[in-house]
Amino acid sequence: MNYMPGTASLIEDIDKKHLVLLRDGRTLIGFLRSIDQFANLVLHQTVERIHVGKKYGDIPRGIFVVRGENVVLLGEIDLEKESDTPLQQVSIEEILEEQRVEQQTKLENEKLKVQALKDRGLSVPRADTLDEY
Amino acid sequence: MFRYESLEDCPLDEDEDAFQGLGEEDEEIDQFNEDTFGSGAVDDDWQEAHERLAELEEKLPAAVNEQTGNGERDEMDLLGDHEENLAERLSKMVIENELEDPAIMRAVQTRPVLQPQPGSLNSSIWDGSEVLRRIRGPLLAQEMPTVSVLEYALPQKPPQGPEDDRDLSERALPRRSTSPIIGSPPVRAVPIGTPPKQMAVPSFNQQILCPKPVHVRPPMPPRYPAPYGERMSPNQLCNVPLQPGRMSPSQFARVPGFVGSPLAAMNPKLLQGRVGQMLPPAPGFRAFFSAPPPATPPPPQQHPPGPGPLVQNLRSQAPMFRADTTHLHPQHRRLLHQRQQQNRNQHRNLNGAGDRGSHRSSHQDHLRKDPYANLMLQREKDWVAKIQMMQLQSTDPYLDDFYYQNYFEKLEKLSAAEELQGDGPKKERTKLITPQVAKLEHAYKPVQFEGSLGKLTVSSVNNPRKMIDAVVTSRSEDDETKEKQVRDKRRKTLVIIEKTYSLLLDVEDYERRYLLSLEEERPALMDERKHKICSMYDNLRGKLPGQERPSDDLFVQIMCIRKGKRMVARILPFLSTEQAADILMTTARNLPFLIKKDAQDEVLPCLLSPFSLLLYHLPSVTVTSLLQQLMNLPQSAAAPAPSNPHLTAVLQNKFGLSLLLVVLSRGEDLQSSDPATESTENNQWMQVMFMATRELLRIPQAALAKPISIPTNLVSLFSRYVDRQKLNLLETKLQLVQGIR
Repeated sequence: MNYMPGTASLIEDIDKKHLVLLRDGRTLIGFLRSIDQFANLVLHQTVERIHVGKKYGDIPRGIFVVRGENVVLLGEIDLEKESDTPLQQVSIEEILEEQRVEQQTKLENEKLKVQALKDRGLSVPRADTLDEY
Repeated sequence: MFRYESLEDCPLDEDEDAFQGLGEEDEEIDQFNEDTFGSGAVDDDWQEAHERLAELEEKLPAAVNEQTGNGERDEMDLLGDHEENLAERLSKMVIENELEDPAIMRAVQTRPVLQPQPGSLNSSIWDGSEVLRRIRGPLLAQEMPTVSVLEYALPQKPPQGPEDDRDLSERALPRRSTSPIIGSPPVRAVPIGTPPKQMAVPSFNQQILCPKPVHVRPPMPPRYPAPYGERMSPNQLCNVPLQPGRMSPSQFARVPGFVGSPLAAMNPKLLQGRVGQMLPPAPGFRAFFSAPPPATPPPPQQHPPGPGPLVQNLRSQAPMFRADTTHLHPQHRRLLHQRQQQNRNQHRNLNGAGDRGSHRSSHQDHLRKDPYANLMLQREKDWVAKIQMMQLQSTDPYLDDFYYQNYFEKLEKLSAAEELQGDGPKKERTKLITPQVAKLEHAYKPVQFEGSLGKLTVSSVNNPRKMIDAVVTSRSEDDETKEKQVRDKRRKTLVIIEKTYSLLLDVEDYERRYLLSLEEERPALMDERKHKICSMYDNLRGKLPGQERPSDDLFVQIMCIRKGKRMVARILPFLSTEQAADILMTTARNLPFLIKKDAQDEVLPCLLSPFSLLLYHLPSVTVTSLLQQLMNLPQSAAAPAPSNPHLTAVLQNKFGLSLLLVVLSRGEDLQSSDPATESTENNQWMQVMFMATRELLRIPQAALAKPISIPTNLVSLFSRYVDRQKLNLLETKLQLVQGIR
C-alpha cells in the first residue's frame, strides 16, 4: 500500500505479529520477519496453535520458514485485542488429546456415513472421478 | 613434456638413475612457472587488464559515494587490529575502478596499499578483487551499472518512514552468515514509487527476465557484506544513521549510554557479518551522521547527551526528500504524504512529553523494544517491492489489468461528477500511471557455456524446449462408448462456446479501440468487427449455411450450458435483426427442452431482456409465427389440440411465461398501432390469438409460473378475442389485473 494502491504487499506487515493458516490446516502465530516475492515467510517466535472446540493449546516452535504456496491466509494480530478471546487456553498435552479424540470421532462418523450410503446403493463421488462441469 | 638439450642427455640405460635424471630435468623445466604461479599470474593478469579496459567505458560517477565510503573506511581502522585483517580482506573485494579513482586514493591514506599476496595458491572467498574478477559473473557486471545509476539518481535519500522509530533499538547487527546470495537485493536509492529510469528498467527486465550469462561461473561472494570499501549508496548511507545495524540483545541494554560507550563495548564478533552496516565508534559516529550534506565531519567535541537529541539532530539535518510522486494516483499520494507526516510527528514526540496514547504509538513502542526488528533491511524490502512493481509494468494496462483500470476510472468519474456538483476545491486529476514499458523486442540469446564442446542448449522460461513428443491420436468413433461420445460432444460444445466468447469480448471492446484509433484505421476496425460478428453467428448456428437450418442441434447444445445462455444474451444486441430473429425462433421452438435443461441453472431469464428489445423491431409476421412456435399451436384453427405439453411447459416456466406475455404484448402493439396492416397478417394474427386464448383458458391456474414482468396492454389484447366472462377468467389466471398481484 505504501507504494501502489491496489497491490497487496507484505512489506508493511514485517515485524508484526501474524496468524498464518497453512494449507495443511495448521495455525501458526509468530512475528513476520522476512518475506520474498513468493510470499515465503520467515516467522519468529512461532507458536503452533491447535484449536479444538473452545479450547486451544500453544506449542512453541521457534523459527519457521514457510514456503509461500502453502499459505492459505495470514493476518495481523492486534496485540491489544489478542487477550480478550472467549477461547480457553489449555496445556499442550490436553489439547493434543482433545485433537486426537476429535479426529477419531470424525473418522467414525465418516465411516458410518459411507456405510449408510453403501447400504442404500449410493456412493459418495470422489472429486477426482468427476468429469462434469 | 621433457625437454632434452640433446639426445645425448637422455638417460637410456640406467634405471635407477633415470628418475634422478628426470628429476634433474624437472628442475630445468620449472613446473611452477612464472606464468601460472609467479609474477606473471599476479602482476600480469591479462584478464584483469582486459576487464579494466572494458570497464573504463562503464565508469560511473562514483565520487559522491566513494568519498563518504572512504570516510567510513577511516572509522573502520579504529576498530582494532582484530578487525583490520578482515576489513582489509573485505575491502579487497572492492571493484577495481574504485581503487584507481584518484578521489578514493586521496582519501584512503591509512589504508595499506592493497596488493594481492604473491604466490598465494589457495584462493579463498575473501581474496582480492583480482580473483573476484575472474569469477564474477556477467550478471553482476550487468547489474552494477544499473544499480549505481539508481543509487546516484537521488543524491539525498529520504529517511525511511517506518524505520525512523526503530533507530534507537537497532545498533549492531546480529551475526549473519555471509553465504553467497545470488540475486540478493541490490542497493536501491530511488524509492520504489518513482518510475524507473528508462535505462534501468530494460536492463532489469533483461536481467531478470532474460538472463544472459555468457559464462557459467561459481557464485559470487556476497555483495552486501559490502564493507566501506564498496560504494556506499546514499540509501545505505542514510540507513546507517537511521538504522545503524541491529542490536544484539546484550547490546541492547546499553542503548542509553551508547554514544559515550567505549570502543571495547562493541563486540567485534558481531561485526563480522555486516561490516558495512556496522556502526562506527564514537568519534567517527559524528562524521557519519552529518555525512549527508556536509563534506567535512563536524568536530568530535560535539557530543549530544543521548541518542534522543542525536536523532533530532539527524532529523534536522536530513531533509525530507519528496520523491517524485506525480505519477501516482492522488489518493495514493495523499496517503503517502500522510504517512510521512505521521512519522515525522511521531519522532517529534519521540523524546518529548507527547503521549499520544494511540494504538499506533504503542505499536511503535513495541517495535522499539523489539530487538529482532528490522532483520529485513530496507533495501531488501525495496527489492521485494521492486519485483512487485516490475510485475505491474505492462505495455497494455487495459489488457493486463482490466478490472483495476476500470475500477479506478469509475472512481475518477465519480469524483469528477462530485466535483462538478459540489464545486469544491479542485482535486488532483492525475490519472494513475503504472510504469509503462515500451515493448522491448530483444532477441533472446540462450545461455552458452564456456568451455563446452558444441552448443548445449538450456531450456528456460524464455527459451522453452519441447521435452515430450506427444502425438495426438484422434479416436475413431466405433471404439468409444456412448458415454464418451456424449462427453466429447459436450466438450466440443464447450470449446465452441469459449471461442465465441473470445470473439464476443473482442467485439465488445471495439468501441474503446475505435476511440483510441486513428482515422485511417477505423474502416479496418469496422470490417474486423463485422467479420467477427458473422463468425459468432456461424458458431452459434452451425457452419452449414443452407437455406434452412438443417438442425438446431448445435444451438440447443450451446443453450444447454449456462455460459452459453449468458453468451447468447450478450451476443444478441450485435446481431442483425434477421439473425437475431432466427435465434429467437430457434429458442422458441426448442423451449421446453431448454426449460428442462435449465432447471438447475435458472439462467434463461437473462435472455428475456435482449429478446424483448429484439421484439420491438420485429414485423408482425414474425411475431405471429413466433407466437405459434412458442405455443406450439397447430397450423389450422379447426383441429382441436388434444393437450399441449409444449405450452404447459412454457407456461410453467418463468422465462417461458414472460416471453409469451411479451410476445403477446408486442403483437397487440402492432395491431393497435398500425391500422393499415395487411389483412392477411391481420387474419393470421387473429387466428393465432384465438387459439392462444383457447389454450390459455384450458391451463389450470396453479401450474402457472410467475412472470418477470407483465405488460400492461394484455387486457385490451384479450378483450378483443374473448367475451367478458372469459376475460375475467384470463385476468385472474394470468394475474393481469394489478390488484390481484
